[in-house]
This record gives sequence, C-alpha cells and structure tokens, in this order.
Amino acid sequence: MAPNWTERISAFCRSPSGFLSGTNPEAFLSELLRELRDDRASYGVKVLLLSPLCEYAGLLCATGCAGEETALDLMSVFAQCPTRWAQFRCHLLVALTGVLVCSSCASGRSRASLDFLDLLLQIAQDAGDLHGDGAQRCLRATACDCLREMEASCPGLLSQRLELLAGLRQQESCRLHQAYVGLQVLVLRNAVYQLTQEAGAGAAHLKALLGGNTSAWEAEQEAEQEASQADGGDSAVQSSLVLGPMGRVPSLHTGPDCKELRSVLSSLLEESYLLTPLCQAALFHRLIELVAMVPGIPPSILRAQLLRLLGTNEVCLLHVTLLMKCAFTDSLFSAEDEAFLLKRLVVLSQHPLLSAPDKLFYMDCILHFPENRPIGCGDSDEALPVLLTPQLASALLPTVFNDSATLLARLNLQALVYLEEEGEEEGEEEGRGLAYIYEHLTALLHIVEGGGSRDIVVTFFRAAYLFLSYFHRVEQYSALLSQQLCRLYLLHTQLAPNILNLVQQTLHSLAGCSWAVGLLRGLQGAITEAPLDQLTLPDLSCHLRVLARVAEEAKISQRSSLGFLSAVVTRSSLRASGDWRLGNGVLGVCRRLLLHPSLDSLLIPLADILLHLACNYGDTDIQDHARLYYALLTTVSWEKLSAVLAQSAAEGGGQVKRPTLSGVMAESEGLVHTLSVHRAETAVFQLSEARPQPQPQTGGPPLAQDEGGGALEAYRAQFREAGSAPQITLQYRLTHTEPPHPRFEQLFSIRLHFSLTDQNYEQLQDVSVPCLFTQRPAPVLRLTLTPRQPYPTTIHVSAVFTSSDGLTWHAPVPDIHVSFQHTFLPLPVPPAWSRARREELFQELWEEMCGEASGCAVSLFCCQLGGAALKALLQEHFLPFLLSHPSQEDGFWVLLFLPPRSHLLLKISCEEDAVQFNMATDNWQLLPHINAYLLRITCAQDLPVT
Amino acid sequence: MSLRALWIIYNEKGENASIRFSRRFCTVEHRAKSLAGSSYVAVPEDSSFLQLLLTELGLSGSHKSYVAARDDCLYRPRSPAVELRLDGKGTLWPVLALSQAPLILACLPLVDIPSEPRPPLANLLSVSQGLTFLAGLQTFLLGSAGNLDSEGLVSRMATLPSLLLQVCPLGTLLDTPQAVTPTAPTVPTSAGAQKQPAWKTGLHRGRATVNVAVVETVRSMQYGSPTRQDLWDVYGTVTCKCEVEGVLPNVTVTLSLPHNGSPLQDILVHPCVTSLDSSILTASSVDNADGSAFSGPYKFPFSPPLEPFRLCSYTSQVPVPPILGSYQLKEEENNLRLSVSLKLHESVKNSFEYCAAHLPFFNRNQMGVVDVKVSSGQLDVSKEKNLLVWVLGQKFPKSHEVTLDGKITFSGSSQGPSDPLCTGLTAYIKLYLKVPDTTLSGCFVDQHSVQVYSSAKPRIITSRELLSKEYYIWNSTGPAPVSSGQMMI
Repeated sequence: MAPNWTERISAFCRSPSGFLSGTNPEAFLSELLRELRDDRASYGVKVLLLSPLCEYAGLLCATGCAGEETALDLMSVFAQCPTRWAQFRCHLLVALTGVLVCSSCASGRSRASLDFLDLLLQIAQDAGDLHGDGAQRCLRATACDCLREMEASCPGLLSQRLELLAGLRQQESCRLHQAYVGLQVLVLRNAVYQLTQEAGAGAAHLKALLGGNTSAWEAEQEAEQEASQADGGDSAVQSSLVLGPMGRVPSLHTGPDCKELRSVLSSLLEESYLLTPLCQAALFHRLIELVAMVPGIPPSILRAQLLRLLGTNEVCLLHVTLLMKCAFTDSLFSAEDEAFLLKRLVVLSQHPLLSAPDKLFYMDCILHFPENRPIGCGDSDEALPVLLTPQLASALLPTVFNDSATLLARLNLQALVYLEEEGEEEGEEEGRGLAYIYEHLTALLHIVEGGGSRDIVVTFFRAAYLFLSYFHRVEQYSALLSQQLCRLYLLHTQLAPNILNLVQQTLHSLAGCSWAVGLLRGLQGAITEAPLDQLTLPDLSCHLRVLARVAEEAKISQRSSLGFLSAVVTRSSLRASGDWRLGNGVLGVCRRLLLHPSLDSLLIPLADILLHLACNYGDTDIQDHARLYYALLTTVSWEKLSAVLAQSAAEGGGQVKRPTLSGVMAESEGLVHTLSVHRAETAVFQLSEARPQPQPQTGGPPLAQDEGGGALEAYRAQFREAGSAPQITLQYRLTHTEPPHPRFEQLFSIRLHFSLTDQNYEQLQDVSVPCLFTQRPAPVLRLTLTPRQPYPTTIHVSAVFTSSDGLTWHAPVPDIHVSFQHTFLPLPVPPAWSRARREELFQELWEEMCGEASGCAVSLFCCQLGGAALKALLQEHFLPFLLSHPSQEDGFWVLLFLPPRSHLLLKISCEEDAVQFNMATDNWQLLPHINAYLLRITCAQDLPVT
Repeated sequence: MSLRALWIIYNEKGENASIRFSRRFCTVEHRAKSLAGSSYVAVPEDSSFLQLLLTELGLSGSHKSYVAARDDCLYRPRSPAVELRLDGKGTLWPVLALSQAPLILACLPLVDIPSEPRPPLANLLSVSQGLTFLAGLQTFLLGSAGNLDSEGLVSRMATLPSLLLQVCPLGTLLDTPQAVTPTAPTVPTSAGAQKQPAWKTGLHRGRATVNVAVVETVRSMQYGSPTRQDLWDVYGTVTCKCEVEGVLPNVTVTLSLPHNGSPLQDILVHPCVTSLDSSILTASSVDNADGSAFSGPYKFPFSPPLEPFRLCSYTSQVPVPPILGSYQLKEEENNLRLSVSLKLHESVKNSFEYCAAHLPFFNRNQMGVVDVKVSSGQLDVSKEKNLLVWVLGQKFPKSHEVTLDGKITFSGSSQGPSDPLCTGLTAYIKLYLKVPDTTLSGCFVDQHSVQVYSSAKPRIITSRELLSKEYYIWNSTGPAPVSSGQMMI
C-alpha cells in the first residue's frame, strides 16, 4: 500500500503549512528519503519526490545538521543512480543545491557541501560528451548552473577556481559555453568584490587571482571571508552594484595595468552575441559591476556593443543598456547619446509591435531616466528627464482606446509634463496641454455615462483622482469636473461608492483642497432638487448614503437635506412598505445630523422627521431607533450628544471602514466602536518558555502499590487501571513584545486561546490571566498538554483582552513550539520502586522491543564525544531519565517515557573514541525525532558520525 | 536577476480561477531573505497568492460593482509590476503579471538592491528579464496566433517541469521556453571551431533557403472634420526563415526604398543582428524629421537562428492613407440615413486579396428595414448583430471611388448590441483589407540583395503585403470619442 505520492506531493506544494500540520517536516523528509532510496520506485515518481526538496528545502531542512544529513543521503542516491536517468540526476543536483544552500551548510563550508562542489566540478569538467550525448550535456549544464547558484548564494566559494573555469569556458564550443560564461563572470565579479574589501589589494592580487596563483594570500583571504560572514556581510556582496552617480561602488585600485582582466572582459564581450538575450543581459550586468569596481578598466570597453544593444527589440537588452548609462553616465554616453536614448524610450513606450507590459515598463524607465547630470537626487521618486519636452511627450498622450493601466500611466506622465510647464511659463502651450488632459477625462466620463464596464468606471475615477491631485488648484477645470460628476451621479446612482471614495481620498490626501466639499455640496443640491416621485428604491438608498456623508461636513448647510428626508418619510408608498434598509438609511443621515454643529437650527425639522418615523414607519425596529434618537435629541444637550457619538465620527474620517457585523446597522455605529472587538495587527505580548521547574509527576497512571511479580507486568497493570491520560506541563512567562505600545502597557482580563495545528494533542482549554503590566513581574502560566502522539508541534495562540481605555482587542500571539524533548517524562512507576526493580523493567522492555512485536524498532546512533563531554551531556539532558547510576563507567541506561504510552530506551556506551547510543522503541515513528534530537545535542559538543 | 517564484493561473471568463502550476526557487528565496533583512516578506502560499493577485488585477468579486480593496481611486496598479498587500505582513513586490485569456502568468523577481525605500523598477534588471521570460512562456503555452488549443495547452503544461530544468532550473533565467526542443541534432565540432550560439538549437543540413517577408500594417482614424486632423500610420515587420548550413553562417538582408520614399523610422532589430550602422537608428517618429535623413539602403547582417524570426520592424510616415473615407449619418424620424464614400488612393495597387467595410450600429433596437444601395461590391446584412458588411471584393472600379447610400429603421422588438463608446451619432466604419505584393512605404527586399556567405547557391524567396488594423472612419456628423489635437493610436 504505497501512499499516493502524486497526490501527497501536490498537497504539500499547494500548502506546505497545511500539509505539515498533519505530520512534521522531519517525518516527511525521512519518508521522502526512504522512498528515494527505494529501488522499486520508478524514476518518474522519484523526480516528483524531489520537488518538495527543490522548492522548500529551507522548510524541510531547517538546521545545518538536517541539511548535512539529507545532502549525504541524496549524494548516495546520485552515486547509485544509473547515468541513463539523466533527468532525475539533474533534478537531484538541483535538490542538493537547494538543501545545502538553504540549510546554510554551503555558507558554512560543511563537509557535504565541499563534497558536492567537488562532484559538480567533476561533472562540469567531464567533456566526455563531445560526440553528442544529449543526456550528459544536460547534466553538465545543470551542474554549471548549480555551481553558479552556490557561488551566488555563498559569494567567494569558487574564487580559487577562476582559472579552471576560464579554461572550461574557452574549450567549450557547443551551446553549453553559455553556462560556463555565466559561471565564470559571477565568480570573477565576486572575487574582485572581495579584493575591494581587502586593504592594500591591488594589481598583483588581481593578476594572481586570474592566474589561479592564489596560495600566497589564500589563508589571509579565507580568514577575512569568515569574518565577513560572521557579521552577515553576505548580503552586501550579493547586492547589485549598478548604482546611480550618487551611489558609491567599492573600488579596486590597480593602476592602468590590468591587462589580464581586460583580456578576460574582452573575450567575454566578444562572445556575448552568442548568448540568449536573457543571459546576455545578465552577463552585461555583471560586466558593468566589474568595470565599475576596477577604475583601471575604462567603461569604453563596452562601447563596441552599444549600437547593437540600442537597436534591439528585446526589453532586457535595452534595459541593461540603461543600467550601463546609470553606472557610467557621461563616461560612456555623450549628450547626443542621451538624447537619442530618451527618444528611443519614447518610441518604445508606444510602439505598435510591443506588448503592453513592455511599453509600460519603458514608460517607467522614462520617469526614472538615468540622466548624465541629474538635478534632483531623489532616487525613487518619479521625475521627468530634462530632455523630455512637451513636444516629445505628446507621442504618449492617452486615448480612450488604451487599456486602463496604459491610460493611467500616460495620464500621469502628461500631468507631470504640464505641471512642469505650469511652473515655467504661462503660455498658450500650457493651456492647451491641460485642456487636452481635461478633454480626455471628459471623454472617459462620457463612456462611463454610456454604461461603461466596471473596469472603465474604476479607471475613470482613478484618472479623476490623478487629475485632481495635480491640478485641483486650476479652478476652471475642477469646478467643471465637480458639475460633471454630479450629473453623472444622477444618471448612475450606483456610482455612489466610487464618488464617495473620490471625495474621501481627495479630502484625505490633498490638504487644504476644498474641492471635495464643493462636490458634496453639489451632490446635495442635485439630490434634493431632483423630483422625488421618479426615484426607485435603489436610487433612494444611494441618495441617503451620499446625504449621510454630506451631513458629516460641518461647513455644509443641511436644510435642503432635511427637506429631502422629510419628503421621503412622508411619502406614503415608502412609509407603508416599511423597508428596513431604507429606514436605516434615513436614520443614518439623522444620526449624523445629530452631530452637526448647526443642530440648533435643525432641531425642529429633524425632530419632526424622527417623530414621524417613530410613529408611522412600517418597521418596528426603525420605530424604536427613531424614538431613541428623538429622545436623545429632545432631552440631551448638543455637547453631551456629541460626546456620546463623537468617537465614531472621528473614526469615520479614516480609511476604508472595516466591516463589522454590528456595523450593518448604520445608525448604531456610534456604539460599534466600544462594543466591537478591535483587531491588533501585530502581537502585543508573547509567551516565552519559563525555566522548567522540578517536574512534579503530573497525571500518568495512578501509582498502584507494587505487588511484586514481573516488573513489566506490574508496570503494565498500572496502565490498565489508568483513569486519565498522562499529561505534560509546560511553563510560560507572559511578557510584552518590545517595544511595548503605550496603549497596551496595562492590560486586563486577558484570555488566551490555543489552537492546535495538528491532531497529535488533545484540544487545549483557554487560559485566563487577570492582568499584565509592563512594570510588574511577568505572570507565569502553566499549559497542560495531553498528547495523542508524542510529536513536536506548533500551537497557534490568540488573545482577547481589554486595554486601559476600555476597548476590547483581539491580537495574535507568536506561536509556541513544543519540541520533541518537551514530551519526555520520567518512568511513571511508584516512587517506592527500587533502582534494581526499575532496571529490571528496563531490561524486560528492551528485550520485548528487540523482538518482533509490531511497531518496535532498534537503532544505533554514534558520535565522537569525549568521556567528559558525555558526562556533561547526560547531566544536562538526561538526568531525570537516567536509570543506571551516573558514576557507572561501562554504560548508561536512559528510559524516556513519551505519553500517552510510548517508550524510548537508550543504552549509551563509550567505544574507543566514539559514543554509541543504542536505541529501542515501541514506536518506530519516533526514530527520526530522536535522531534529530541526538544530532542537535551532540552537535553542540562535537561533530557526529553516523 | 533571478525569480523567487513562478505561477501559472487558469482563469477562464473570470470565473473559478485556479493555480495550475507554481514553482518556488528556494535558493533564490534564501538570498531574498538575506538581501532584504528585516524588510523581508515571505511568498504566501498559493491559495492566498491567487486571491491577492486577482484582487490586485481587478478580477475578484466580479459580481460586486464596488469593492474598496479593489477599486480605491487612490490606488493605481503599476502594471506590469503590481504589489500584493498581505494582511498585516507587509507588501509583496514586484509581482509581474501577464494576462492572455485564459491564462495569467505571474512571477516574483528577486530585488537585489536595498528594498527600503522602494527602488524604481528601472533599477531592477530582474524585472525586464522577468517580462521577457513571461512573454516567452506565454508564446510557448498559447502560441502567437492567439487561437487557443486547449489540448495542446494541457500537453505543453505537462512538459513544464522538464522545460524549466533547462531554461530556469534554480530561478536564474537562462532562456525563454522554446516551442520545439529537439534533442539537438548537432554535428560534432572539432575543438577550436566556431562556437555554437546558445540560441541555436541545432544545425541545418541541406539546400540553403532564405525566405524574407515584408508585412506592412496601416492604421487610421479619419474624422472627416475640418477641425480634426485625420491620422494614419504604417508599421512594417520583416520576417525571415533561413535554412543555411554552418554553425554561425552570415546572411545579409537589405531593405530598400523607392527613389523618393520617406525614411524608415523606429527600427528595432532581432538580437541575432550582428552589427548596425548608427544611421539606421537615427530616424524616429517622435522627432521633427528633416529631409536630409538617411533613406537606405538598410543593411542587416545577421546569423540566423533555426526557427522563423522577426528580423526587424519599422514605422513609416506615408503622405496619404490608402483609402480615404467619409461617413455621414443623419437621424430622421424613424430611421437613420447613411451616406458613405470610400476613395482608393491612386498610388495604391488596385488588387486586393480582400477588402471589406464593417458598419456596426450599437445601442439601438435591432434593425428592421434596411434600404441601402451600393455603387460597387455587395452588402451583407446581419440583423442580429446590427451589422452591415460591405464586401468590396478584389478591385475598386475605374473611378477608384465607391459609395453607399440608404436608410435603416431600427424597428426590431429586441435590443441590439451595446457599446459604451458608440452612443447616439458616435459611430464608425471599420475597414479590413489585404493587398498582396505591395507596401505603402514602398519598402522592399530585392532578391539579389540577400547575401548568404556559403558555398552553395541559396534559394531566395521574398514577398510583400499590406494589411489594415484599427482602420476607422468616424461619422462626421457626430462627436468622435477622442479629444482634439494630436492623437497617436
């Protein structure tokens, strides 16, 4: 009954976290490896089995030890795999690279990673396929790419092999030379970078590096390398060095004498034409970095390629040309070249034969054009290049036939052009440009009026926002837009959310812009002046929504709104229908009016409306609420009223409102704020493991009297009578996350909720903590877990609590991790049992497990450990579980009880210079865990040998 | 210059989108983590990625007219690199996405420069590489013709894992996926010989043949209005298929113009072109071209790949459109009066493969009585589609002018097709034409100018044709849906 691997692997790749919640990474990994070693499995399946390792090596091999182990396993699979399974062997190399890089073995230069490097170099040098063996060639190409990836992840890894790699590239004449080029140039780039970091490195070092004669300063360099890795210097090496004129590139001072490097670069440039466009772009990128780092090489070395690159139709090749310009500015590109390049970009941004994404990318390049003499130094802001004249930019005017992304990008560019113009001269030209943009906006508006699709509607409102954000000061147009929007709204009331969104965003981001208020006033006018009897119910509810927003504006007189409301509530057809939503809409407006500063003058008509609703509306709920508002309005002063309701009004000004269940009732929003549970985005506090205290015997089988007889039988008897399942208790300290948010310094009534990520434990009860103050000692809480299977697990935690301002919050709490050793319990036998009796039990269990009983397994783990180290290890990790006397010399017996009823027996003995851990268990699935655990604890002492 | 992840999403008619293929590159992810440091944002799992991407592209919740997260006016998706706002876990950027029904292809390039503050796209080589790769993948999966072959798609999807092993095994892009990857019928080459280009999948054996085709496309917007300038433009492509022996054979194709032809502009070339003369690149459509511009001959030396490829493309400013039209509509009591005339310019060869004018009518009831006469050609009426198709056949009459007159009543009981653009008298005629063996710019490839440096005499085939695309003639009595002033299509 082989498990269905296709399904399992696809389930894993779909959602690794979901999949691993049903098992754990170690167990899954060991299953994968076992199946990979299985001769019966087909190679098609084996390729599939490698995909989790290729894609999620970091998840499956989180530690160096696990990575090392897995890599050794995979290499042995590689060694045993017949050469005809080339595809599988290629995938194996890819998986190995992933495992070694992600488990940090490669950067730590572990043994397996060095072995793997040797293997890769050996494959890369094996030119035995000269006579056209495609399979072998494929393997060689993959090996080169693996080498390149290893070097990219651990810069400097191959810098000693430069000469070898250069030779390999030169020899190769089939398509594979591309792989060698990519490898060589990266290694060269990293090696030169390293030289720039060394004080006093110069031409001689560079020459030695290229000649492979590096022994003299190898040691010195390695030491430096390690030092740089220790302080995480890796990411600086990995970062691109193509920086603008403002950036500082590390440089290597060689003087003009760097013939060797120059000849290498020339030969790479010469062959660049033979590479695929993608590889060419990557090669040029590396060459730019190299030339930038070595001032002895003039950028003009790249000039011969320029014309070819400038004429290209490949986006990545033109892009790399721009990067060249960015790095070398006028030392490679004259003013004429610059003008040409910009024109070229404008042409490409609207070229009929290029795809829309390419054109948009080119447009982005115009707005970040690397000028020879940039005026501003803002690196990430969009800015127009000086050379982009309105005349040139007119090639990029938007039209209604553009797709929405293109349209908005073009509109943005034109707005920038005319904004600049506006500052310079008040000429006719400027007026024309702005007029064009506005006309275009109007054309869009007409399409929306004509019933445009959702996409066009959204695009129009984005365009309108864009226009306003640049030109809201130009009264002539903004007023016109306001009028047109009001007309549009009356035609299509369903656009209310879009219009209100535009209002909200302009109010929010254009400080001091009164346009939005003007629009709201216009909308109010449009709504209240239109004849009421033609309104449909959906129209009406949109109108009420808009009026509710209008009522929030203190500067707008609300008389006409009230008149409209009054007309609505007295209209018999509506009143009789008693539509809850409609009534709610009316109440929503009323509630905001209650807060309006001019409430005094609105008092009587508003009271009339509320009274009318309370007495005549066809829905009881609405009647009740209207009565409440009426009572508030007529009995509570305005100041008090606003104090009661103000909090929510302040909230309303924020971003998009979060829909809460209680918020469905618009008129109760004032209370929503205090009644609803707020969501904190980040953790407020965390659970950190408290130092384990001497563990009291918790749960476990009741301690029956020892009745003599066989130790095992007596022991087993306990379980038969067992009432509750054995439990493990963990202690945690509840502390604030750093730095504590001032709002959350004092927390009350904390309730922690735990949710399991797998089936291995019983559900946990919620835990309550009365309070948590930053000033006071952290409260300690005990978590009692009842295992169904003694496996490590992760528990999601969330918390509900009250902050000192009285609001209730829901916040995530960082996961807690239950490790394998947390599940260890000492042998649950009566305390009266003597050491001899316990040993007897150990022996009986051992014999049983070595037998044929199902689920049992034995295993051996070895490592190099001195006697003293072993003692320390026992003392530190196994003392509570030790059966034999610690001073005993010939061996130690350790018995781990893993609830609910698994056992793990260890006989630890010293053999010459190695320590053997003989293991027996009645649950073979524990073996990977114990293995990982032993590896971890022994790794801390010494390197293991298994 | 690498990808962190790649996704292929199947999204037919905007419903039930699902991820059909995804691949994460763990070593690149490892680098992303160390490069980004504290601002690192992990790649979400497939299901949440899909939701976020659809929202970002405006494709989620299609039944709702307004969704705040999707439709906020403040937000302008910076296509082609969008950002996915993960719930409280930062922003995933830059996600490149390419859509062509029924697929959405997406990838996440590695950002190899400091990510705070956010760098411009223009500084990330991985973005343009990602675009190149996705475009190649799209062509591989869907073909360039645009008609979907679902069975082929399924089988091509199945080959992806082994294909990626060649073009992108570890996230670093090496090549775009190729439609055919034959198991290299390469000839053993002796050491020291010419290196084989990486983009050449094999070697040709046999008679040398070079096929060069020039296809020009004309677009036009004609308004027939004194205040609005008519617009037209022409662009051409030169496609080659070369079967020539040798590892790196040299071929030169020369484009020539007639004596007074206007210069070719905006020339873009295939990467296999070995060298270019700077004068070829100088003429540009966005420039005020002066008369002294270089006007050929245009020489393109190159070494051809095995498959057909687009050697170069150009645009040209021809003085007149091939067909000048006028379209006038008049709304009468119960019907719409039409009057159309089309005039073929005398310089254009009067020998079409096809020529047809489509007259659609939107936002009206279905057609009732159609009483329309044409001076030449024949008229097909499609009442369901509210469409008149005027088939002009292979030739214009001697006068080079044809007319259509008549009236239509829209008295049908049901509503015809609708279009938000074409309301009221805003209406157009769209022309479809193809003229073999001609180009508007006059550009041609002389058989004798094609040089192939090889021992055997090659067979050389050249061809030309003219096509139309987006050729609109707007009703001059109604507002055209474009703003005034200069307009580029």
